[in-house]
Amino acid sequence: MKKILEVKDLHVSFHTYAGEVKAVRGVSFDLYEGEILAIVGESGSGKSVTAQTIMKLNPMPPAEILGGSIFLGDKDIVKASEKEMMTIRGKDISMIFQDPMTSLNPTMPIGKQLTEAIRRHRKMSKSEADKEAIRLLKLVRIPNPESRVFQFPHEFSGGMRQRVMIAMALSCEPKLLIADEPTTALDVTIQAQIIELLKEIREKTGTAIMIITHDLGVVASMADRIAVMYGGKIVETGTVEDIFYRPAHPYTKALLQSLPKTDMDKNTRLVSINGTPPDLLNPPQGCPFSGRCKYTMKICLNEMPPNFEPSKNHKAACWLLHEDCPYTEGKAVDGGEGNE
Amino acid sequence: MNNDNKDVLVEVKDVSKHFKVEGGILKAVNHVNLEIRRGETLGLVGESGCGKSTLSKVIMGIYPPTTGQIIYHGKKELVVSKKNLFEYAKVAQIIFQDPYSSLDPRMTVGSIIEEGMIIHKMYNSKKRRERVYELLKLVGLNAEHAGRYPHEFSGGQRQRIGIARALAIEPEFIICDEPISALDVSIQAQIINLLYDLQKKLNLTYLFIAHDLNIVKYISDRIAVMYLGNIVELSSSEELYKNPLHPYTKALLSAVPVPDPKIEAQKKRRLLDGDVPSPINPKPGCPFAGRCPYATEICWKDFPEPEMTEGHLVACHHVEKINNIK
Repeated sequence: MKKILEVKDLHVSFHTYAGEVKAVRGVSFDLYEGEILAIVGESGSGKSVTAQTIMKLNPMPPAEILGGSIFLGDKDIVKASEKEMMTIRGKDISMIFQDPMTSLNPTMPIGKQLTEAIRRHRKMSKSEADKEAIRLLKLVRIPNPESRVFQFPHEFSGGMRQRVMIAMALSCEPKLLIADEPTTALDVTIQAQIIELLKEIREKTGTAIMIITHDLGVVASMADRIAVMYGGKIVETGTVEDIFYRPAHPYTKALLQSLPKTDMDKNTRLVSINGTPPDLLNPPQGCPFSGRCKYTMKICLNEMPPNFEPSKNHKAACWLLHEDCPYTEGKAVDGGEGNE
Repeated sequence: MNNDNKDVLVEVKDVSKHFKVEGGILKAVNHVNLEIRRGETLGLVGESGCGKSTLSKVIMGIYPPTTGQIIYHGKKELVVSKKNLFEYAKVAQIIFQDPYSSLDPRMTVGSIIEEGMIIHKMYNSKKRRERVYELLKLVGLNAEHAGRYPHEFSGGQRQRIGIARALAIEPEFIICDEPISALDVSIQAQIINLLYDLQKKLNLTYLFIAHDLNIVKYISDRIAVMYLGNIVELSSSEELYKNPLHPYTKALLSAVPVPDPKIEAQKKRRLLDGDVPSPINPKPGCPFAGRCPYATEICWKDFPEPEMTEGHLVACHHVEKINNIK
């Protein structure tokens, strides 16, 4: 498979009154054609900042890319000028956001918002672009697109607006679609419709999708590969099966165990992760999870673990996986035990 | 459902709440009947706009109902109205969804927790301080936190403060209005465990409102499913998940993504078309008729009365046919 995106050792900080917030601290991952990669993490783990940096959407300052590279094909986005970004955004990479209520222009008909990007990037005439807009709305299953193009965003429901956003994102046949919490603001029945739609679009167009979410259910229902972020770092990457059935990092394990299983009742206690995520104004020197992990060793506090490969293409950054590690309990690539 | 064990604490009798809005009447809650039993957790689920928050506010006495009444059978026996709201607040409390906007940023945590006790003239000031420390410990914080301000705490800790405040006046009944929706996954389990422990220790009754169906199933004894202002199904939580009878419940449950890729890969989703219709001037008939794959003429005409079917309370004209019940 062709690699379309390669992020290498990306560092992004925000300069605030309180000091430098190190939001992304050395993130590396690849994305292949036609793949759905899920980036999972809690709020403040750096997942959205990573996505925004790929589009260069975060305002600089206060944001600053301190190092690393983002290769889209052979082009480094980190070095790209704003003018070059204008041709990349929407055409090569496009993005849909969490809140479909605020990401559309309320004063412009839907059709006009759709044709804007089409005419800009695809050099189509007005009538061709209008036809294309209707085709796209059909693709995302909006009923009566011929009359809907003349309507304004307030005449659409939340789920419909997210469909319009998806249509707009697809309008220039991007290689990569970044979906930042695309279903978080939607109800479950609508969420299910959007998940099915995204999967269908991947089948039809071969667009790679990077989905950012905290909902492990959504991840299980659509992703091929998963990257788990914590404290500004990717702590584990692997296929869906690796992450759900053979998690290697204690954070991933604890996260999976904190969810109620379908066969659980009130008498089985939920496994909770004590404490709170690290403060990225002053991130820990070693492993970001060391403050909450029940297997923490001395080295975890002092040194960030490198990536170990418990199996092929499955990477986890945890000292427990080092061959000299004395623990065997936490090392085993199984469900593990939870910490109370 | 066990009919002998009906020790009802809160009775919701034929409650409706309608609002006058531009363009007609918004029927947020329609003739809802509900019994909340002593010591249980009743889950209330539904999509946004289904009326679950309005119903909880009516039960809390914040909104006066348009029809019907809320009858409380606890330490106090009362029909909730504007006049006895003060008395009612002593036995019924609420935990809010957003731990950021529900705590006064200019008050210390200690005074936030103490305020209820002052209002209800409980204890002297020394005893109140002691109670504050006790409560902080009870919810997993420290006595030293009493002097700090809300902004010094994380979301999960703030939710603990909100819980301590609700417990301060020793209520019997607590409405949990989406208490974990604003929290991160790793923190949610902490709060759920805390709520469960407190229920055991203090013999509390919960009305638990949420849209995360996996969590609701875990914490609730019984679950009521709402759609467009009506309760369409009510049963024990296990029964509801194993054997949902109403077509809306079926669709809702199948739409919830399970955090297990194998189950997800095999799952055949019943995707619902369209969106929840507007509750303004709703049409007669079954509220779900427009999206229901089984709808026939009668569904558009007559409102289905909830009836007991195989231990579930279901409001559907075709429940027998759909589920092959004789």
